[in-house]
Amino acid sequence: MKADVLIIGGGIQGCATAYHLARQGASVIVLEKDYVARHASGVNAGGVRLLGRDMAEVALSKASMEMWQTLSDELGHDTGFRRQGLVNIAVDETDLNTLRAREAKMRATGYTHERIIDRGELRERLPHVNPNCVGGVISELDGYAIPYQSTNAFRLAAERHGARIVEGEELLSLRRVGCSWLAQGSSTRFEADTVVNCAGAWADRIALMIGDNVPLSHAAPMLMITARMPHFVKPVVGAVSRQLSFKQFQNGTVLIGGGAKGFADRAAGSTRLDYAKLADAARTTAEFFPIMRRAAINRMWAGFEAYMPDNLPVIGPAVNAPRAFHAFGFSAHGFQMGPVVGQVMADLVLTGRSQFPLGPFRIDRYDRKVL
Amino acid sequence: MFQSLRKPERDRVTITVNGHPIEAIAGQSVWSAMALNGQTITRRAALSGEDRSAYCAMGVCFECLVEIDGLPNQQACLRRVTEGMAVTTQEITETTEATNAGL
Amino acid sequence: MQAFDCAIIGAGPAGMSAAITLAKSGACVAVLDQASRAGGQIYRASADSPLPDAHVLGADYTDGATLIAEFERVDITHITQADVWHIGDDGRILFSHFGDTRELHCREMLLCPGAMERPMPIPGWTLPGVMTAGAAQVMLKSDAMVAKGAVFAGSGPLLYLIVAQYLRLGVPVAAMVDTTPRQNYLAAAPLLPRAMRNLPMLKKGLDLLREIRASGVPVYRGATDLQVLGDTRAQGLRFTSASRSHDIAADTVFLHHGVQPNLNMTRAMDLTHRWNADQLCWQVDTDAFGQSSVPHVAVAGDGAGIIGADGARMAGRLAALNILHRLDLLPQEGLDRAAAPDLAALAAMSPFRAFIDRLYRPSDALRLPRDPDTLVCRCEEQTLAQLRTGFEQGARDPNALKMLTRCGMGPCQGRQCGHIVAGLLSDWRNEPPETVGYYRLRSPQRLLTLDELSRFHAIPAPTEATE
Repeated sequence: MKADVLIIGGGIQGCATAYHLARQGASVIVLEKDYVARHASGVNAGGVRLLGRDMAEVALSKASMEMWQTLSDELGHDTGFRRQGLVNIAVDETDLNTLRAREAKMRATGYTHERIIDRGELRERLPHVNPNCVGGVISELDGYAIPYQSTNAFRLAAERHGARIVEGEELLSLRRVGCSWLAQGSSTRFEADTVVNCAGAWADRIALMIGDNVPLSHAAPMLMITARMPHFVKPVVGAVSRQLSFKQFQNGTVLIGGGAKGFADRAAGSTRLDYAKLADAARTTAEFFPIMRRAAINRMWAGFEAYMPDNLPVIGPAVNAPRAFHAFGFSAHGFQMGPVVGQVMADLVLTGRSQFPLGPFRIDRYDRKVL
Repeated sequence: MFQSLRKPERDRVTITVNGHPIEAIAGQSVWSAMALNGQTITRRAALSGEDRSAYCAMGVCFECLVEIDGLPNQQACLRRVTEGMAVTTQEITETTEATNAGL
Repeated sequence: MQAFDCAIIGAGPAGMSAAITLAKSGACVAVLDQASRAGGQIYRASADSPLPDAHVLGADYTDGATLIAEFERVDITHITQADVWHIGDDGRILFSHFGDTRELHCREMLLCPGAMERPMPIPGWTLPGVMTAGAAQVMLKSDAMVAKGAVFAGSGPLLYLIVAQYLRLGVPVAAMVDTTPRQNYLAAAPLLPRAMRNLPMLKKGLDLLREIRASGVPVYRGATDLQVLGDTRAQGLRFTSASRSHDIAADTVFLHHGVQPNLNMTRAMDLTHRWNADQLCWQVDTDAFGQSSVPHVAVAGDGAGIIGADGARMAGRLAALNILHRLDLLPQEGLDRAAAPDLAALAAMSPFRAFIDRLYRPSDALRLPRDPDTLVCRCEEQTLAQLRTGFEQGARDPNALKMLTRCGMGPCQGRQCGHIVAGLLSDWRNEPPETVGYYRLRSPQRLLTLDELSRFHAIPAPTEATE
């Protein structure tokens, strides 16, 4: 099979890139070893979060957030996105000081989307919160989406524009021959002018095939979801200094995250859960929201996530090969960035440039450092 | 119509089903205590709100979810009655709003 | 923490037999079971029936009391009312017990999750008043509760047994609607001569049918196009038999067309499974001793493939013998010698099993829904038409379809829709079930509250407790 662009990985970054490329007339093939959204893009917590981003990511994340607001209409399929706001709770004065320092930094850079709220407004927004909490910070544009639906929406829109998605096809080898990339899949050969590496927790292996070394690691953040509960919380909820993160979806189920990690065995393709840590998460959640004590947990799981040492993604051109680009290593907060990354990658592939400063995301940013 | 063929037993308890007191045999399943008293609806379907009732009676269909002493998602076919137990049909659908903070 | 030599999950015929064998050879055994008394589904309340005379249920049932009595005499740790929600292949078991989460460790584990009835997704199958024949049995055994004037519909020995039991108890039955396809009799006929070697079993089945026929209860055969009547609750059953449409009024409809392994436990452990083309269901892949793809995890009884209660007792003993050998409590020669009778008996049962499997093989029309509005996923209320739309939107894998439509995401965790969804995808993709696969299942295997999860207690093995 031949195409202008071969994208490795059918997650949200790969499908969004395919969509933006195909929309502009490029012929695109997406190669996916399992099925679209099988891993992090389908099984993540669904948070669409601008609040608390690393300064290097704010511009991209903010642009992406604006795209999310109308994404379902644009793609012609429901992503499940709901703008509910995101509140990070402060439990004491120390937390509030942390928030004030952050706010000063944000204002200095000209960002105003994060706003500190006092105890009264916290109670108003979160009537069921533990009354001991003293305040928090809110970002109004934030919310959640349904991960699989969102990724599949990009996939369907990409296909509508002619992109070809090949599932169940693993990339075995990749080499640059003349002006082409020759890719050998498990059953098919592919040829393209350009490759884009969106392979998530497997992206370091693809990067190696392209010729770039990268210090990527992987882990298995754990999640659990409850049976339906009466609606008690609208915003997505986090905490300034505690491992708390949950959201109640429109269907009534409550997804609890918080960042606790299980065990990721990439060679075996499996994850294990750490139940003691999940019990901690349960305790923390019930402490902040006593109503959650009676919540019935229905599923627990952990997906593979790729992490960079600085928790910032790799976004940009390969350094050791022409016509190759990377977008991976989002360190468990890439889902929200999907829409804008798709556009950035399409711009890079088609024009060689992006309107966003991508310096902090260079793949070779660790080349001269001793890790 | 459900009917009991149980041999006479003295060990009786009183429970409430949706607020109405009923007599039951200690150790009897909550489902049978409900059903023998004409309360065969256990829960509402999550989306349509339609009535649902026990299907498998052995713990694998989760249709008989009721609230027991305020705790939702209890399988009526597996739980056993005890004196004073308060059983209510489970009304949680995807549009239900919370009414108390659980404090 | 000291570990048990072996933990057994489930105290039905397989689990009880295994526990007896293990305990008699000195193994330190824990048995975890959901019920307050051992017996499993088949021998439920066999030791303490609420019925004035349990003998009307038949000798196969009352015989269970003997096994339960023996089980309750041996020296083991029997943890009743244990809701097991996580079994790790590292030998760790987590379960809910009266509001707490408890943990125990074991060197070897034997899973005896038993069987569940094959869901029967006919139009109206979610209406209140529609239950399974197995439900009728459970209600009768554990609570002496019956439904007067019910219709029984479907196919298979369990259906005929419960109808006969109702009749013996004098409970009126509106009708028995037999869906066994006529061609099944022809297809099973060549298997009959070998099955004749198990004459007592065969005779038992024929006696049941004769008993029903003699009772005068209307029996309809070769029934198709089943549909539960009623808008908000069951009011009867409509079906076609002998080219005529029939409506039978009833406020309870009991459905049955066979049983299948209760898969969630073995699936959640990622044990290797295989498709059983005779029984049209998935089952865990084991050797003759129940050993799974993980060496220290064995599975026995109907949960490892439907073999019935007598077979389950044998399978439980065989698994126990192998576990004793793995624990260095039984040398290879001893294992070979002790296992020989049960291995031979199980082999002798297989021709009969093959005949029954073929005769009562469910028709595709009852196994998979045909009407676009029929609910496939009862919990999340997903219809056949909605799943088809999801498939057309690219969700070709059971897990992708689950994530797109929420089928299988409700409280039953796919127990009801798992086989249906896999079967539909197999049809739509025109690929075998093995290629299509099944839901990826994870702990917890039952709903557990945040409160329960947040409270951990370890259970020490008896030797540690006495130190």
